[in-house]
Amino acid sequence: MKPSLVLLILLVFASQLLVAETFLIGEGYATSSSTESEESVVSAYRAALETEKAGANVSSLLVKLNEAAKFLASGRMSNGSADFDEATRIAREVENAAVELKDSALSEGLQRMVFTMTASVVGMALIALGSLVVWRLLKNRYRTNTLQK
Amino acid sequence: MDVKEYRGWLIVGSLALMLLAATPTLALYLKIPSGSERFSELWLLGSGHKAEDYPSNVKVNETYSVFVGVVNHLGYSAYYNVSVKFRNQTQQLPVASNATHSALPTLYEFNFFVGNDEAWEALLNFKILNVERSNDYMIVNSLSINNVLFQVDTISKRDETRNGFYYQLFFELWLYNITSQSFQYNNHVGLWLNVTDFI
Repeated sequence: MKPSLVLLILLVFASQLLVAETFLIGEGYATSSSTESEESVVSAYRAALETEKAGANVSSLLVKLNEAAKFLASGRMSNGSADFDEATRIAREVENAAVELKDSALSEGLQRMVFTMTASVVGMALIALGSLVVWRLLKNRYRTNTLQK
Repeated sequence: MDVKEYRGWLIVGSLALMLLAATPTLALYLKIPSGSERFSELWLLGSGHKAEDYPSNVKVNETYSVFVGVVNHLGYSAYYNVSVKFRNQTQQLPVASNATHSALPTLYEFNFFVGNDEAWEALLNFKILNVERSNDYMIVNSLSINNVLFQVDTISKRDETRNGFYYQLFFELWLYNITSQSFQYNNHVGLWLNVTDFI
C-alpha cells in the first residue's frame, strides 16, 4: 500500500476523532453551564433571604430572580448556553444588590433602634420629671389649703 | 383627701406611663411568636379563571387551559417548583400524608420565587396529540404542554364504571429547603381527563 494512501486514511480517521471530541466538549459545556446557572440562582436566593431577615424589602430582588428562573427554564428546554449565561448574569446582579440592600437595611435598623431607645429614655425621664413637678404642686396646694383653714 | 394618698396614685400612674414609653424599645427585643400556621397554597382554576369549568372530557388535538397558582404563607420569601406529570389510573400518585412525591417523570416545570403573603400564577395549555385505541385499551403517545411536545406512551384500560379512558394531569408543588439545599415535595393537585380520540 502506498504511504500517501496510508497517511490519507490515518488523517481521515484522526479527523473523525477530533469531530467526536468537539461534540463531547460541546455537550459538557452546556451541562456545566446549567449546573453553574442553577447554583448561581440558588446562591442569589440565599442572599435575598439573608437580606429579608435583616429587615429589607426584597420584592425587587424577587422580580429579578424570577427573570433568572425563566432563563434557566428556557435553557433547560432548549439546552442553550446563552439562556444559562443570562440566568447566571442576572443571579449575580441580584446577589450583589442583596448585599448592598442588607447593609443598608442593617444600618437603617441600627439608626431606628438608637432613635427608639433614645426616645424611650427621654420619654421616661420626662414622665418622671413631670410626676415630680405634679407632686410638688399638689403638696404646695395642700399646704396652702391647710394653712388657710 | 390627704396628699399622701395622692402620692400612691401618682407613683402607679407614672410607672404605667413609663412602661408605655419603654414599649417600643422592649418590642425590639421581645419577639412574640406568631400564632398563625405556616403553609403554602396550591390551586387550579379553569379557563375562565374560576374554580369551575375544569377540562374533564378532552378530545385529541384540541387545546385546553387551566391556571395553576401558589400562595406563600411561610413567613419568608420562598423558592418553588411546580412539576407537571401525567399518569393513568394505576400509576403512582404522590402521597401527601407522608410527603412522598410520584416517581413518574416530570414533563413540564415552573420554577419561581414568591414573597411572603404573595401569590404566583401561570397559564398552562395542554393538548393530547396522538393516541392509539382498541376496545379496551388506549395509549396516549404524546401530548403538548405550553407548545412543548412530550412523548408519554401511557396506556390506560377502559374504566367500565365511568365508561371512558381516564388519565390524570397532576401538579406537584416542591419547596426549596435552604438547610438541605434541595427541593422537597410539598403538595399536589390534579385533573382527571377522560380522553376521547377524535374531535
